[in-house]
Amino acid sequence: MRFHIALFLAGVITALPPCYGQVKTSSAVASAKASVESTQQTLSTRVVAYQIDARLDPTKRTISATETLRYRNLTGQSQQTFPFHMYLNAFQPESTFMTESQRDNPDLEWKKEHFGAIRITHLEVGGTDLTSQIQFIHPDDNNAADRTVMQINLAKPIPPGAEVEFKISFEDQMPQVVARTGYLRDFFMVGQWFPKVGVWWKNAWNCHQFHQNTEFFADFGTFDVKLTLPQNEIVGAGGDLVSSINNSDGTKTLAYHSEDVHDFSWSASPSFTDVEDSWTGSAGTVKIHLLMSPGNMSTAPRYMQALKGTLGLYDQWIGPYPYDRITVVDPPHGGVQAGGMEYPTLITADTSWFVPKGSLLPEAVVEHEFGHQYWYGMVATNEFEEAWLDEGINTYLEVKMMDALYGKGKSVFNFPFLQLDDDAEQRATYLLQPDTDPITRFAWKFYDDSAYGAVTYGKTATVLLTLEKLIGEETLRQALHTYFMRYRFTHPTGEDFLKTVEEVSGKDLHWYFEPAIYGTQIFEYKILDAHSEPLKWYEPEEQGSKPGDEIYRTYVTVQRKVDFVFPADLKVTFDDGQSVLEHWDGRDRWMRYVYDRKAQLVSAELDPGHQLLLDRNFYNNSYVVKADGRATSKLSNIWSFAGQLLAQLFAWLT
Amino acid sequence: MADTKPKTFFSGAAQVWRSQRFLWLLYAVNLVLVRSMTYETKERVSKILDHRLAAGQILHGFDLGAVISLGTHSELPFLGLRSGLLHSSLLFTLFMLFATGGILAAYYSGDRLKAGPFFEACGHHFWRFFRLTLYLLVVLLPVGLLIWRAGIRYNHIDEQSISPFAAVHFLEVVIIVILLLLICIRIWFDMAQVIAVAEDERRMWKALWRAASLLRHNFGSLLWLYLRVSLIAWVVLALGLHFWMYHLRPESTGAAFVLSQFLIIFWLATRLWQRASESIWYREHQRAIAASAPVYDPPPITPHEPLTQISM
Repeated sequence: MRFHIALFLAGVITALPPCYGQVKTSSAVASAKASVESTQQTLSTRVVAYQIDARLDPTKRTISATETLRYRNLTGQSQQTFPFHMYLNAFQPESTFMTESQRDNPDLEWKKEHFGAIRITHLEVGGTDLTSQIQFIHPDDNNAADRTVMQINLAKPIPPGAEVEFKISFEDQMPQVVARTGYLRDFFMVGQWFPKVGVWWKNAWNCHQFHQNTEFFADFGTFDVKLTLPQNEIVGAGGDLVSSINNSDGTKTLAYHSEDVHDFSWSASPSFTDVEDSWTGSAGTVKIHLLMSPGNMSTAPRYMQALKGTLGLYDQWIGPYPYDRITVVDPPHGGVQAGGMEYPTLITADTSWFVPKGSLLPEAVVEHEFGHQYWYGMVATNEFEEAWLDEGINTYLEVKMMDALYGKGKSVFNFPFLQLDDDAEQRATYLLQPDTDPITRFAWKFYDDSAYGAVTYGKTATVLLTLEKLIGEETLRQALHTYFMRYRFTHPTGEDFLKTVEEVSGKDLHWYFEPAIYGTQIFEYKILDAHSEPLKWYEPEEQGSKPGDEIYRTYVTVQRKVDFVFPADLKVTFDDGQSVLEHWDGRDRWMRYVYDRKAQLVSAELDPGHQLLLDRNFYNNSYVVKADGRATSKLSNIWSFAGQLLAQLFAWLT
Repeated sequence: MADTKPKTFFSGAAQVWRSQRFLWLLYAVNLVLVRSMTYETKERVSKILDHRLAAGQILHGFDLGAVISLGTHSELPFLGLRSGLLHSSLLFTLFMLFATGGILAAYYSGDRLKAGPFFEACGHHFWRFFRLTLYLLVVLLPVGLLIWRAGIRYNHIDEQSISPFAAVHFLEVVIIVILLLLICIRIWFDMAQVIAVAEDERRMWKALWRAASLLRHNFGSLLWLYLRVSLIAWVVLALGLHFWMYHLRPESTGAAFVLSQFLIIFWLATRLWQRASESIWYREHQRAIAASAPVYDPPPITPHEPLTQISM
């Protein structure tokens, strides 16, 4: 279908008078054909083709570059106005990003090293200099001082199907790393560094300002990037290295090419140690580069193991990884702000010179950031408006994969004296702020950064973990596989995801999605009452009666404390060794179960499978008749010991 | 000179053993204060955990997620725990200040003090030791300033250095220096307290002055006397904690209690060991000075002769 439309459009364009200098009328048909043919061979619909020639000055921390962007107008409409992201301008004190950061962190200090900027020195389209036409717009908050979105109006509109070529010269001033991108000592993490055109989405330009809680959204295409920098710099980039040429002035020029991606980032430091390996999956061999910073080499094998394990599980559970490379950048000490980030085929990790083996945090970061190659990298959802679709789904799979790779119950901390599971960590994150914002809120509209983190990561993961109770773990995995295979290299929405889950499970789940995804309802069930008493309670107890002689009536009452309705299992155990499993739909506020038998109650437990992770209080989900104070004693021992030792340390003053 | 041979070191231990009552008194106060100040917390936690299956996540192993869930429980079970522990620490410190006078009196004299004389000695020296503690806080001010400056320097090194180890090594050196400094200050003030008790010195500045002179002239022996016992305390604590964390079954609450209290008693005992050793050292030092002091030997008295013979 796309072939015929393209041919028709090409014919229309050919018939038009050649007054649009930027439209390649003479080669429209050829380029349309080539585009279609390349579309049929390519993984994505390539809307953009960037050619960037950049030079890094590590002393001044600047990048001077020229960019040629060829944009294919596949919007179906003529376009005359084009918005561009200018993300680096966020690192200025009056920007929206910094203003919001200070709002949520009043102790935030501004240092001049944190200043970052991107400045366009020349912009030309079709031979016309439009530099003076650049306007900064503020579609989200009317902050006139924010310069993270610029807009350019062309002299003439670009017809649908045609291409437009932007020639841009720009200069970057890299900030000392505040968030994601910047320098630290001799290290550079260069992300969101070039003027990036917005996305035509849902019949309008989608090009939000850069906020404290937002990430990125861009179209798929190709990148041909040349980097000129000192010869001693070791570089990792989100592309295949095509050539490396040493220049006579002590620099070298590295040329990279990348296809079917929506961003290009790179990192450089003369202090990196490059650890290479490879992994082979269903789509072929993937070259792995770990760029390790000084002092962190002991973590390299751990990163590698986590990465390969994750590659394998994603290949098995979700779908093939189609690229031939992945680079892991290990930020230097003090550079944690550059860590834990994802770019197409390049991720940044996070560790320290000493991390005990029982702490799996470095592994979890690598697992999570690689997961973004799928959720965001290939399934390129709008991170401004639906951050949960990449962060939340990715966090859910992080929990599952960490369990698979490192063991359930100990996938974050695994010490003999202390354990922490990733699902417990995500649940705890969610419960920090469970009721301020729905999952579906636009990222920059969350109450604050804590709420954004708690809900987007923790709550979404917990919602999906609880969803397993309704449709099964295997079905949910199948749904994710289907969603990935159907929507990779496109820009799906939350509705697309939820409909896929319903389709694969064969169930109408809107009653669950409504409170869990779109609402802020809290989930809490409890055992309200559980006890046994003699059926003939009015008769005196018989002397010499044996257990099992008398009939007892057992009452177990369960309660839904708040508004989230969900079916739950109830397991009632008696002292004759028997147990009963009930299924409660949770619709009424409470339900009483009554049993008459020659046995007394031992325990009652809601959700014996421990699947309702959304429940904010696990402790009231069960009742045991016979008290066991050992857990209390254990905790009391610990705080008493700590207190006694503290008292003696204070007494050092005497 | 003071006897720095091992018998002072072992004499101190023997003295602590003979005067066990002090150890048990301090331990009892330490335990009762912490337990009473955290009793409410224990009751709140008990109400949540004792009849719940989820408590098993804390009992069998130690699920941090379960503990976090408990901490964020709507009934706020841990509310007041921090202040309880702080208050018990402050009260214990005050009690130690009170009891030290009597303990040192007993250690210095080597006598078995009964309750009456013990508490009388405690009360007699309390205000003096309170003033000494104030002087200690003043002396610690420059140490605090040094720590602050070291922190700034550490940050600077960490920011500038490509390798993280430059700052790490700097921190190691700083910690050793600060620890040695604090040990020296503690020995100085310990000896001041011993002098105050031994000489019944009311002027604490004078006690400090004499203690400083003592420390200057006997630095090596006093430092080694104190350090040995500290090392033993830290090693036993480390071994004990390692055993608790890595080798004790998670469900062994009884064994964990016994082990934890043994470590507390041992830690307390080593502090008393230091005080006893210092007291004995000072006593032996005074005896040695007295023994080596020159004795005045007046000339013999000769028979009286007439003053003059007057010739006529």
